[in-house]
Amino acid sequence: MPQQIDRVISLAPNLTEIVFAVGAGDRLVGRTSYCDYPAEAKAVAEVGDTLHPSLERIISLKPQLVLISTASQLEVFTQQLQNQNIAVFVTDPRDLDGVFRSIEQVGQILGHDEQAKRLVQKLRDRAGAVEEAVKQKQPVRVFYQLSAEPLYTAGHNAFVTDLMRRAGAISVTADVPGAWPKYSNESALAAKPEAIILPTGGSMGTGNLTVTEALRQSPAVLEGRVYKLNDDHLVRPGPRAVDGLEEMARALHPDAFK
Amino acid sequence: MITTASSITGQNRVTLRKTLVSCAVLALALLLAIVVMSLIGSEPLPARASLCALASFGTTTCGLSRDQFDILFQLRLPRILLAAAVGGSLATAGAGYQALLRNPLAEPYLLGISNGAAVGTMIALVFFGTNEWTRPLLAFTGALLATLAVYRLARGRAGATPERLILAGVIVTTFLSSVIVFVTTLMDATRIRSFTFWLLGDLSGSSKKLLPVTIAVAVVGTLALTLHARSLNLLMLGERDAFDLGVEVGRVRIVVFVVASLLVGSSVAASGSVGYVGLVVPHLARLSLGSDNRISIPAAALGGALFVIVADTVARTIIAPRELPVGAITALIGAPLFIYLLRRS
Repeated sequence: MPQQIDRVISLAPNLTEIVFAVGAGDRLVGRTSYCDYPAEAKAVAEVGDTLHPSLERIISLKPQLVLISTASQLEVFTQQLQNQNIAVFVTDPRDLDGVFRSIEQVGQILGHDEQAKRLVQKLRDRAGAVEEAVKQKQPVRVFYQLSAEPLYTAGHNAFVTDLMRRAGAISVTADVPGAWPKYSNESALAAKPEAIILPTGGSMGTGNLTVTEALRQSPAVLEGRVYKLNDDHLVRPGPRAVDGLEEMARALHPDAFK
Repeated sequence: MITTASSITGQNRVTLRKTLVSCAVLALALLLAIVVMSLIGSEPLPARASLCALASFGTTTCGLSRDQFDILFQLRLPRILLAAAVGGSLATAGAGYQALLRNPLAEPYLLGISNGAAVGTMIALVFFGTNEWTRPLLAFTGALLATLAVYRLARGRAGATPERLILAGVIVTTFLSSVIVFVTTLMDATRIRSFTFWLLGDLSGSSKKLLPVTIAVAVVGTLALTLHARSLNLLMLGERDAFDLGVEVGRVRIVVFVVASLLVGSSVAASGSVGYVGLVVPHLARLSLGSDNRISIPAAALGGALFVIVADTVARTIIAPRELPVGAITALIGAPLFIYLLRRS
């Protein structure tokens, strides 16, 4: 790792958000087409999308460091970067504590320790306040509908499963292996969720507005507890995950925030 | 491919009896499969009460809870019926292509015809989003265009040799695959994920509105091809001989193209590309019942329904509550058989 890093490329939207949040956005020289936040990020050169970055463009941007989030899918790629003497930092946070660690690590690497620590402290306080507010509440049994047809949900390894737990909810699919499993319609119906979360409106598009047919008679639908939440806040393990946590907790436990 | 002399000189009564007996046996097996597979799923249901409710055609609950009743009649049974319609359609279409092209390797998925239907369905979804009826219509159009393309490419001076046909299929398949990749770039990220799954063949999409259409097309299509089975038998001797024996070759060809494209189109619109059904099932039908199309086409239809019902039961239960695409199961069985057939031909 070089001492002073002036040129960084981020290959994931959450990492781009972290770089800007620790105050090092001016050193970002490359980003993916998914990196759309904050607005300043859009002025930075694109190097492809997260899974298909252009190695040529990355090398021509002469970065000292490349930040990567999904390590396993980019193994060969990482090797190629290292052969070019470009440092690679890999982080794949699975829960909110992992996000906080990533922020501190990125801050440290970029020489913004103090700013990162202050940011993490603020985020920790907000997350703590949410957890405190919902502590006395009966956890809500939630189904997270990533898409209706075919039915996809959040499994054990999904970052959002941890967020749901902190927001005073129990994901009915929390024990299903994998991050985004294709889920049985029957099992969704039998789970009788009390609330349904429809992530929508962010960079994944404006679809996913209706509950899947198998859940039309679920307690969640009958009692009107279907919540459309911004998917960017729920699935990106970055600073805005705390926004997602707050939005989810307020939707599920409105009386806890009066 | 051998055409039995008896079918031409006409021992029609024997053939008719053989057809009726084998179809009756297969129909019984199909009914049994529908009932038994209705009892299997990611959520356990009480067997006796479920059987009782099924026997009453859903008019009484027989002590099933509201949820159990909904799982059985709203989710599981429609999916099984869709599997039957898709399986029957694809197997019949396969049998039709094989007779017309005089080639046991002709199969909607391997010839790229399913891909043609998939492109049609995708265009319907991207440009006509909410209108469900455009899906089977454009899928049919796509399948028909792909069929014509394969047919034109495969026909050499010596007819469609296996090598030419497979090559034509590869060309059409890969070309249409690139079209699919291109169309997916027009979609948002969530849709792309759903599509990758759908492209492998998936019966979980609860397109209930399309279920009656898919069943109707399967039944009418099978009847239409069975009624032309005699002409197809003669066509298997070669187009010139068939023509000399009084077959209206041009008309039969159009009928098979249109009907098979309809069958492929409606099943792809409902379930994506379920591969190898049109290869495995007609082959097994000919192996056990002979190559007379009057028997093998209806037998393939019933057998295809049976095959996909069983494959989909595996797909929806083997890693429950997660699911696999049914196309992965049919390909797992079909690909080795394809290699075996290719080595023999």
